[in-house]
Amino acid sequence: MLSRRLLLISLSTTALVGTLGLRSRLGLAADKTVKIGINLPFTGADAHDAELIKDGAMLAIDNANAKGGIAGYKLDVMQLDDGTATAGQYDPAQAATNARKMVSDDAVVAAIGPQMSGSGKAMAPILSQGDLATITPSSTNPDITDPKFAAQYMPGGKAIYFRTVTTDAFQGPNMANYFADTLKVKSVYVLDDSGAYGVGLADAFQAQAKKRGINVLGRDRLDPKEADYTTTLTKMKSLSPDALYYGGVGQAGVKLVKQSYDIVPTIIKSGGDGVYGAEILTGAGFPAAQGWYATIAAPNVLENPDAAPFIEQFAKKYGKQPDNYSITAYDAALVILAAIQSVAASGKDVTRGAVRDAIQSSHVKTLQGTVSFDANGDIENRIVSVFQITRNDKYPLDDVLHQYKYMGVAPASS
Amino acid sequence: MTETGVLLQQVINGLSLGAMYSLLALGFTLVYGILELINFAHFNVFMVSSFIGMWALELLGISGQSHVLTGFALAGALAFAFAVTMLAAGGLGVAIERISLRPLRGVRGPAAMITTIGVSYILFNVILLTVGAESQNYPNPMPVVRWQFGQVTLELREVLIWGVTAILMVGLHLFVSRTRLGKAMRATAQDAEAARMMGVEVDRVILTAFFLGSALAGAAALIFGLYYNFTSFIIGYTAGLRAFTAAVLGGIGNVGGAMVGGILIGLIESLGGQLIAVRWTDVIIFSILILVLVFAPNGLFGRAAPNKS
Repeated sequence: MLSRRLLLISLSTTALVGTLGLRSRLGLAADKTVKIGINLPFTGADAHDAELIKDGAMLAIDNANAKGGIAGYKLDVMQLDDGTATAGQYDPAQAATNARKMVSDDAVVAAIGPQMSGSGKAMAPILSQGDLATITPSSTNPDITDPKFAAQYMPGGKAIYFRTVTTDAFQGPNMANYFADTLKVKSVYVLDDSGAYGVGLADAFQAQAKKRGINVLGRDRLDPKEADYTTTLTKMKSLSPDALYYGGVGQAGVKLVKQSYDIVPTIIKSGGDGVYGAEILTGAGFPAAQGWYATIAAPNVLENPDAAPFIEQFAKKYGKQPDNYSITAYDAALVILAAIQSVAASGKDVTRGAVRDAIQSSHVKTLQGTVSFDANGDIENRIVSVFQITRNDKYPLDDVLHQYKYMGVAPASS
Repeated sequence: MTETGVLLQQVINGLSLGAMYSLLALGFTLVYGILELINFAHFNVFMVSSFIGMWALELLGISGQSHVLTGFALAGALAFAFAVTMLAAGGLGVAIERISLRPLRGVRGPAAMITTIGVSYILFNVILLTVGAESQNYPNPMPVVRWQFGQVTLELREVLIWGVTAILMVGLHLFVSRTRLGKAMRATAQDAEAARMMGVEVDRVILTAFFLGSALAGAAALIFGLYYNFTSFIIGYTAGLRAFTAAVLGGIGNVGGAMVGGILIGLIESLGGQLIAVRWTDVIIFSILILVLVFAPNGLFGRAAPNKS
């Protein structure tokens, strides 16, 4: 009896789901809605910076919807979180799950994210097989778009991992050049946080530093879940390096900034874009954070007068200041919107395959200038900007725009 | 710095780490000694306590590291923070025992242990969902005072860690060896059934063990915050695992063993990091643990509680 009833229930449920599915598909055609996926680590140490990125992207999407959408299409967002409580930061396993979720929804035509390269490495193969293009506003590990690793990250054959920032193949080495040319550093100790991004960035920095004749006194790895780095720092202090370079993100970064201030207060300290963000400012605080150098893999658009209306609208809408990765996220959204526009204008269906092709051939005017991509999905504009944390009492502690002082462009390797 | 200078400095780092591990290890050992239960909630009682300590200091109007106090004001603020944190942590431990573990008393098998894992996750997520995941900048009223001995630097906060740990350990030792309740604890640890027959209120003894263990975790948590100037919802995991290892290394259930085990783990961590590489820390610690257990299955100092067969 029971089993028959169960069968009946499950049959009717299947039927219901079937109709619902059909109806939503029909509805889609009538309303003309497309979805853009957003995958960022909203849980964990990088949540604050993830919000800034999302806000940047949403500003572009909301603006487009306010004007009636793109070519008659209303834009919907599928927002996913690849940060987990157990990881305490981005979690590649969760990122892979999220990538599958986006790929399995036909209405998703393009995506923005991830923030972190560790997630990117997990997502790229899945997105590639689903032919779904994503544009990352901040993940900089070069492997993901390197043709050498195409079998791993690009099994579908076409570039699907686009970036509105350049990669650590430039971020690390250019900072090594800045160390040699501007900061006149003779010896350095290199640390990473054992994540895909951190290790890759530290490796790239270290290789160029050696090439430039900087003495690399040592290299060690920080466990982001560990609280105590005094052992590492004491060891480093005994070698008396001129400088410390850290490849990694905020979770280990905050503790490194604090403890290095106690143990090696006077040496030059620097990281990549992992130490560019509010987490470092509020978590480590001052005076510990004072004087740290950070880079971003993009031009410093925030001080460009063209960005003023964007900053104004951003501040008004969200009640806080954007950072440079809010801008690269905004730019990523603009590229996707332009791609949807051009597909629709050509009379084709707005499918993810068509959107991908349109993104690939983009020449879109954005806040950071005209964005175009090479065949691998990397941005053709390769600028690395250097900042130094300099306390400005007039602005809130977590105001990235005013607490990071722009120092210039890091020299490219010749 | 010379080789000896660095090693001495690492010994100082290791002793500070070890003091924290010892305090935390005592909580595992006290509960195990009496209930033969590995209390995984202890990991996050430590973590929650670090936030309680933070709020206690913030209640005094201290934030960040710029509100420096000296003299009696400093002593008063620290005494207040330690008292609040230890009492609240002890209360949390008692509540965990009373609510989630006492109903399971007499249930054989791993039910109680699994319950403590559940409680641990609840505490972890409560902090994550209410406070958030960002690292918190810890309020610290202590001035940065450094003494230079040749190439070795000693800091005020390190002296504070050692001092507080020593006081608490002596206090715990006196409590267990001199008071009636302490005697009841030892009796229960040896044979709960016989102790009950002799009129020992076993439930009260168990609550005491939870209170003391958690209060010591509270002290360790406040020390952690003052030493590293940060806390986060995630700190319980690594510290708890190392402290648990320390308890096993010293012989779980053995109070003296937990103290020495903690210091040993701290020293292994800092000297191992110096002489080999920090990324091998966990491999070194657990290799030593396995070696010790192979040759001395009950830990370095043996388990205090005899087999209750």
